[in-house]
Amino acid sequence: MTQPLPPIPEDVLTGDLAEGAARLRVATAIYPLDAVYAAAFAFLDRCWLVIDQVEDHYLVTLAPKPNEGEAPDEETLAAMAGEFANELLAAAWRQRLTTSNRATIELVTQTAFMGAAGPPSLDELEEFDFSEEPFEDPLGIAESWEERYGKKAKKDAAPEGESE
Amino acid sequence: MSAQVTLRFHRHLYLGEQVDAAVKALGNFGEFVLREEPTHWVVEVTCATETRARRVARELGNHALGRTIQARRAEAEGASA
Repeated sequence: MTQPLPPIPEDVLTGDLAEGAARLRVATAIYPLDAVYAAAFAFLDRCWLVIDQVEDHYLVTLAPKPNEGEAPDEETLAAMAGEFANELLAAAWRQRLTTSNRATIELVTQTAFMGAAGPPSLDELEEFDFSEEPFEDPLGIAESWEERYGKKAKKDAAPEGESE
Repeated sequence: MSAQVTLRFHRHLYLGEQVDAAVKALGNFGEFVLREEPTHWVVEVTCATETRARRVARELGNHALGRTIQARRAEAEGASA
């Protein structure tokens, strides 16, 4: 017989104490299947899981593996289902971040592989155009201290020494 | 006297070959009858006692799910490479 498992609302989570299982309703519009898979995989060692789909919801049935033969009580079921829901949310968020950052991740990976390819060969260096300016520096930010002040100071100092 | 538990795996969520592989892996622990429905793979598990049938059915569910997730991951990684 199913019953609510507070504090999670009854339309999201129900429990069956006789079966020792909790059933979580997960909206397909909010949580992608890969996130459900990721959360389920993380719980395979602690729970027996079955996933089903009814219209626009996934139904995740979790039955905690018994600890020394004890059947799970209401609190254990609610805690396990709540933990699963948190894992599900984290997995969905991770997947969304991965999708939105895919271009950056690919660029960084590609750059790393190019670096790992080793130094350029002599043929490649021969074809390289060294005449091209690396970048424009109108404010002289890339100049070193010596270039800007050091050599000039020596030139200025020399005539003074000569005069003494 | 034997006990039977019926498991239904949604075809959109479970790969048929992975359900087959899970049944083969647990083949020594009971008798299994497989059949197909339009939306589900159905596995009937028969064991000597109800407790054992339920336990084997639950292990079968985890096995089929784990194998499906791993196969789908490998498939996705192969496609992106």
